[in-house]
This record gives sequence, C-alpha cells and structure tokens, in this order.
Amino acid sequence: MFGSRILEVAIGIIFVFLLVSMICSAIREGIESWVKSRAAFLEHGIRELLHDRHAVGIARSLYTHPLVYGLYASEYEPRTSTRRLNALSRGGNLPSYVPSRIFALALLDIAARGTDTRGAASGPHAPELSLALARENVLNLENGAVQRVVLGAIDLARGDMELAIANIAAWYDSAMDRVSGAYKRATQKLLLGIGLTVAVVLNVNIIAIAHHLFRDDVERATLVAHADAVARDSSFITGSSQAQLTRARATLDSLRLPIGWDDVRLTPPWDTRVVRDASGAVRTMREPRLWAYVFEPLVGWTLAALAAMLGAPFWFDLLNKVMVVRSTVKPHEKSPEESSEDRQTERDRVVQVDRAVVVAPRAEAPASRPVAPAAVVERDLDADVDACDVAADAGTKLTDDEELPAAQGGVA
Amino acid sequence: MSPRLTWLPDVLRGAGLKVSLVPGWETRGTDTLGRILGVICHYTATPDASRNMPTLDLLIRGREDLPGPLCQLGLGRDGTYYVVASGRANHAGRGEWNGITTGNTNFIGIEAENSGRANDPWPAVQLDAYHRGVAAILREKGRTAASCCGHREYALPSGRKSDVNLEMDQFRQRVAAILGGIAPPMLIPAVETGVRGRPTLRRGDTGQFVTELQQRLGMPDGPAVFGPKTEAAVRAFQRERNMVPDGIIGPKTWAAIDAMRAV
Repeated sequence: MFGSRILEVAIGIIFVFLLVSMICSAIREGIESWVKSRAAFLEHGIRELLHDRHAVGIARSLYTHPLVYGLYASEYEPRTSTRRLNALSRGGNLPSYVPSRIFALALLDIAARGTDTRGAASGPHAPELSLALARENVLNLENGAVQRVVLGAIDLARGDMELAIANIAAWYDSAMDRVSGAYKRATQKLLLGIGLTVAVVLNVNIIAIAHHLFRDDVERATLVAHADAVARDSSFITGSSQAQLTRARATLDSLRLPIGWDDVRLTPPWDTRVVRDASGAVRTMREPRLWAYVFEPLVGWTLAALAAMLGAPFWFDLLNKVMVVRSTVKPHEKSPEESSEDRQTERDRVVQVDRAVVVAPRAEAPASRPVAPAAVVERDLDADVDACDVAADAGTKLTDDEELPAAQGGVA
Repeated sequence: MSPRLTWLPDVLRGAGLKVSLVPGWETRGTDTLGRILGVICHYTATPDASRNMPTLDLLIRGREDLPGPLCQLGLGRDGTYYVVASGRANHAGRGEWNGITTGNTNFIGIEAENSGRANDPWPAVQLDAYHRGVAAILREKGRTAASCCGHREYALPSGRKSDVNLEMDQFRQRVAAILGGIAPPMLIPAVETGVRGRPTLRRGDTGQFVTELQQRLGMPDGPAVFGPKTEAAVRAFQRERNMVPDGIIGPKTWAAIDAMRAV
C-alpha cells in the first residue's frame, strides 16, 4: 500500500500546508505593509552598529544626512520605546532598506565635512572629499567607536577611496545579516500567531483532513492531481500577496476538504454507554469525548500553524520533491491488486486517468461490502478536449425542433 | 448535501426563464461536482440557425473523443434553457479563472446555440436569457458577476479558444445589473388583451383554440393537442416572420396569425 495511499495522503497534507502558509504569508505581508516593522528593525540595527542606542548622535546624523534622508518621507522620529522589537513594531516612515554604499558614503562625508549642511562645508569652497580629509576631521563623527572603524577602513584602504567605501560597506553588511536574522525570527513568531488564527477561523484541522483523505479515494486522487498541477507551476507562489491570497483561498475552496465550520456536524460531546451496576440496575454513563472534541482539533490546528511558520517556498519545494518520489513509484505501473481466488472472475475494474487510480465498485457488490461511489476522476487540467468550438460535423446527428423536450416557464 | 444540481430548473424558472428538462437530466453526469464557484459561458459554434437547439443530442452524448454530457445547460436560440445534466460535465478543458483550474468540478457550463461568427448575431431574447440565467445561478450560489467567464477567458494556453463574438465585459456588466435588481424579466402575458382574450398556448395544451391554431397553420386534422409537431410548425411560422421562434402562441403570435388570414 505504501507508495500510493500513504504517499498520496502526505502529498495532500503538504499541499494543504502550502495553501495555508500562502494565506498566512499574504496576511503577514499585509500587516507588514501597514506597520513596516522591517524599517524599525533596520533602524534599531543601525543604532546598535553605530553605538548610539538612543539616536542622539551619529545615528541621527546619519539618518538626517541628505543621502539617507532622501530614502524616506517626513522627519526622522526614532522609536523611543525601550521594549524589545517584534514583528508588530511600527517603523513609521523610515526606510526598509539602506544600501550599503549609501551608508558608507554618508559616513565618510560626515567624517570629512561634518553634519551641518548649511555652512561653508556645503558651499563651492568646501574642500575636496578625500580620505586624508576624512581622516583629519574624523572627530566630526563624535563617536569614539565609529571613529575607530572609519579610521581603520581608511588606513586599510591606503589611499584608495573605493576600497575604503567597500570596507565600511562590508562592516555594515555584516550587521545587516544580524538584522535580517532578528527580523526573520520575529516574523516567524508572528506567523505562528497568524497561523493559529487562520487554522481556527478556517478550521483547518490537519488530522481530520488526513483522516478524510485516507478514507476517500476519489478526493485523494483529485487532490493529488491538483497538487501535481500546482507543483509544475512555479508561478503559483509568486505574485503580489493579494493575488496569492486569492489564489490560495480559491484553491482551498475548490478542494472538497473538511475545512471550515459550515459542515461541522454537531454530535453530543460525550459517548453514552449502558452499564449494569453491581445491584443489577441499568444505568447510562456519559463519557466525554475529549479526543474528538478537544485534543484532536487543538493538535490539528497547532500542526497547521507550525506548518505556516515554515513558509510557502519550503512547502512548495517539499511538494515538488515528494512528487518526484511519487513519479518513481507510479501506481499504474503496478499490476492491479489480485483478488482472492473465489472472486477472480470479477476482479475489480480499475479506472485509470493519468496518475489517479481509482478502483471502481464491483458490478454486483456483496451486501456486506460498502459500495463506494462510482469513482471516475477526470483531470481537468490535462484534458485539452472540450465541447465547444468543434462545429457539429457532417456525421453528427442534429436535433430537430420536433425532438426537443417541452419547456415550462417564461409565461406570466 | 448532494453535489447534484437539482436546484437548477427551479432557480431558472424563478428568474422568469423558459426551462426544458431533457429526460434523464437528474442522473446525467457523474457525482463528482465540487462547490459551484462560477459559470463558464460557451457557444456551440454550430452554424445551423434554422433549428432551435440542433446540438442538443451532441451535448448529451458527447463526441468520439469526449464522453457526454458536455455541459449542464444548453441555451436555445429562443432563450430556452435545456437542462442536460445535474452532475459533472466535460465542458471546461484546461484553463484558469480567478485562480480556479478545476473547471469541470467547480463551474457550471452553459452551451449557447450560436455559430460565434460575425454573420450570426445573438438573438436579443437569447442573450437576455443568457444574462438572466447566469445571474440566477450566481445569486443562488452567492457569487458576484466576476465569477462568470467566457470559455475563451478560461481556456489555457490563452488563445486555445478562438475569439467569440460574446463581449464578456459587457456580459458581466449586464449580469451585475440583473444581480443588482435592475431590469425585471419580461414575461409573455398568459392571456391576450382585447375582445377574444385568447389564452397563450404552448406544448401540452388542448382545446378549441388549439384546433383553430392547427387549422390556421394548415396542419392536417388530428387530435386537438399541442404536441411537438404543432410546436415545430409554430416555430417555423415564427422564424419566417422574424419573431422569437419559441413555439409559444402569445398575443404577438396570435396577431401574426390573424394578419396572415387578412392577406
């Protein structure tokens, strides 16, 4: 059985995880475009880098330097809260990215000409920008630690301006790697929260889905066909977050999975058991169905939320890998399962449509055997034939008016 | 809930449309329909304008390379909806609309009888019925006009379907207007106004007016029942006079019959 059913259930689950993470990432993007926490992380990282925790000295000078000032709208208003940054910290108008070259140029310029842009240093008689000038006036930076770094960068460059810029840029980039790491961790925390919310709101209970897929051959085949088509289409996880959200929701909707609250059947949250106690009297006992009502949804939702944390690209890659594994164990290359001897004459009819193999019910199923629905799964995706555009040709029998069935309606 | 579209005839009739149930529609098409997320509008590309729904048989049975049913609904040139199937039909092929790629599972397919050529303009009554039918389905399923598309718009790779003379943006505007409650349906009056007050006749009716009608149309004497032959004769009569060839004798057709005698 391995290679078909279990693998297909896994594919189904990965596919659902992919869709859920797409939805969560899109929501995260939406929140980000509103709060701009990336900018807050960047600003915080620059302050740390410049040894200016409270943004009163060189960090402020850098952000108000014309080269950087042009990267954002309105005034530089540093974050004053001392709370730790998280993915919901407001970044205000500050830039989400400051290119490393701009950073290095601004720093060298401040070192050489000072922070004041109004005086003679911005006039025609300002001295030419050179490493020697920057070295001479390095006290303009007003920050011992940064002065050290700039002096080091200048000295190592041995008079080569570009090399000095590259040195400072490399120093900045190493700090930016840390900023990205911190930002990513904060994002994942938020994604976990979003994932839990989405899982509960949409009722994406992965355990219930897995159960459903394991039992229902038709659904499983449809889902795998769907997943297969998606795995081939790398544009599925690209595009604007809005487009991704719509696409993921539409795909989830089109799969007939036990998702959402509409179809939740309300059964009593307990099992009733009839027992006979010591005196022989019959009593009914209620046993709460803790697993079905409490633990299963909780575990199912949590799993979906954890999956969302890993992000859509991860699941897309995994889906592709599993698809490759699956294609090496193509189910329809195996011989259909042998029935027991007394039934060999009425062997199960196997309907094959692409990779979806579904066993159709026997013509005369024994009463004891539950009859599966007539199961023919057609893949829309590869069916290039369809009805229209093919004018009825000469051989086709056309329906005369006389043969039309009677109509109703349309009369007052 | 059964995925079968057993609600289709009621919803269409409720929108004031003419609906004809093709025998066996309740069980035609497999049970593997999903949630209905929209409608794909097709046309049959059959250039035979002398019959109301010449492709009906083809839509039911399918072709050699494609098993039927080929749609859930056929739309005749007179604006009558032929309910072909209540299950899944092979109408969509490969494509995508609003991110949905499972056309056969999640879309209802409507095949309208038209050649799609410039010399075959859509009859007003048929186009109006097309708008109203799509609007009624979308309303029933709680979708907006954006959920319906032309097959050309759905089909991938794009350009797989040749151009249709069905302007889908206009189509959706019209559907949105109907969904918005503008433009109630025009129904054929049940009785003629005037002295004689002749009732509107259609297939299945009997009585003296049917006899009178058959005599006027020059049909051989037979039982006074409005059967398929009478209906076909009425359609031919209406078609000759550029009237709506729906085989229903309403006030306008009665007037045309009177005019014929006066000549």
